[in-house]
Amino acid sequence: MAMEGDVGSGLIAIGAGLAVGLTGLGAGMGEKDVGAAAVGAITENPGIFGKAMIFMVIPETIVIFGLVIAIIAIFAM
Amino acid sequence: MFGRNGKKGNYAYTVARVKAKKSLLMNEEDYSKMLMMTVPEISRYISETGYGKEMTDLAGRMSGIGLLEHATYFNMAKVFGSILTSSTGELYDMVSAYLDKWDVWNLKVILRGKSYGLDAEGIREDLVPAGSLGAESLDKLISLDTDDDIIAEFGRMTHVNFPADVLAAYKASGNLGEIEDFLDKNHYERLTESIDPSSRPSRLFLDYIGEEIDMKNFETILKLKAEGIYGEQVMKYVIPGGRRIDGRQLTLLANAESTESVLSDASQFEFYEGIRDALESGNLRDAVSGLRKYEIQKAKKFSHLYPLSVIPVIDYMIHKENEVRNIRMIARGTESGLDRETIKELLVI
Repeated sequence: MAMEGDVGSGLIAIGAGLAVGLTGLGAGMGEKDVGAAAVGAITENPGIFGKAMIFMVIPETIVIFGLVIAIIAIFAM
Repeated sequence: MFGRNGKKGNYAYTVARVKAKKSLLMNEEDYSKMLMMTVPEISRYISETGYGKEMTDLAGRMSGIGLLEHATYFNMAKVFGSILTSSTGELYDMVSAYLDKWDVWNLKVILRGKSYGLDAEGIREDLVPAGSLGAESLDKLISLDTDDDIIAEFGRMTHVNFPADVLAAYKASGNLGEIEDFLDKNHYERLTESIDPSSRPSRLFLDYIGEEIDMKNFETILKLKAEGIYGEQVMKYVIPGGRRIDGRQLTLLANAESTESVLSDASQFEFYEGIRDALESGNLRDAVSGLRKYEIQKAKKFSHLYPLSVIPVIDYMIHKENEVRNIRMIARGTESGLDRETIKELLVI
C-alpha cells in the first residue's frame, strides 16, 4: 500500500511540474510574436512603451493559472 | 516547431513597424490644407510631417520645387531601405524582390535622362535609390557614356540578362520602349519566381502581384486604345502572369477597336465598378486614377486578410508611394497654376 501511495505522490508532482512547465512553454510561444511586435512598435514610437509592456505580459497570465493548479495539486496531496 | 529558424522571417516585428509608420501618413485633411498653399508653404508643411530631415539636408544644394521633389523621393528611398534592413528570412527576400522595381525605375530614368541630354545632377533628382542598387552604383551608371555600357553594367549589377533580340530591336529603332518593356516584364517574372508558394501568406502575395499585373495590363490597353492602337501591337506590351485577366480575355480587350468597345468586355472584372463612369465618358485620366484607387483598396483588403505576412508591408509601401505622388502632384500643379479642383481630381486619396 505504501508503494501505491508513493506512486500517487510522484504522479501528482509530475502533474504539477507539467502544469507549470507546459504553460510556461505556451506563454513563451505567445510572447515571441507579442514581444517582437512590441519592440517594433516601440522603435517607431517610444511613447507607447507602457502600453506595449502591458500587452507583453498578458500571455504570462496563463503561467499563473498553471502555477495555481500546481500549488493546489501539491497541497491536496 | 517554434518558428525560430531564420528562414521564416520576422513578420511580427516588421509588420508592427510598418503599421506604426502607416498611422503617420498624410490623410485627406492634410491634402486639403496643402491644396490651399503655395510651393514654399507646402515645403514647410511637409518638413513638419516627416520629411524634415531630407528637406534640411538638401536645402543647401537645391530650392523650390526641385528640393521638394528630391526630398520626397529621398525620404521614400530611406524609409523603404529601413524596412528592408529590419526584415529577415523569406520576408527580406520578398520585400527585396518587390523593391527591385526601383532598380528598373532608376535605369529608365538614367537612360531617358541621357537621351534628353540631362546632366548628372538633373538625372540624380529623379532617382529613387530604394532597390538593390545604392547611390554609388547609380552614380557609376550615370558616369558611363553610352547606353550600351549602361545597359551592360546594369545587367552585371542586377544579374538581368538582356536578350539579344531586345538589344537588336533597340539599336535598330533607337526606341527606349523596347528596353523598358523588357525590364517591366522581367521584373514581374523575377518577382513571381522569388515567391515560394508553399505558405498561405506567400500565395496571397502571389495573388496580389497577379492583380497588380492585371491592372497594369488594363491600363496599358486603355492608353493604347486612346492612341488608336489595337490588336497584335497591344499584345506586345502586355505583361504575362495576371490573376484574373487570362490570355483569351487580354486578346479580346486588345482587339477591341475603341475605348467604348472595351466596356462590355471589362464589365466582368472586379475593378470595373470603380472606373465605369470614367470609361463611359471616355475620360482616360479618371479611369487611370480609378484603377490606382482600386489598387490601394485592394492592398488594404489583402493586408487585413493575413496580418502576419508580407502584404501589410507592401500595403504600406504602396500607400507611401501614393503619398509621395500626391505631394509632388499638388506641388507641380500649384507651380504650374492649375486650379485646385483639377489637382484634387488627380489625387488618389
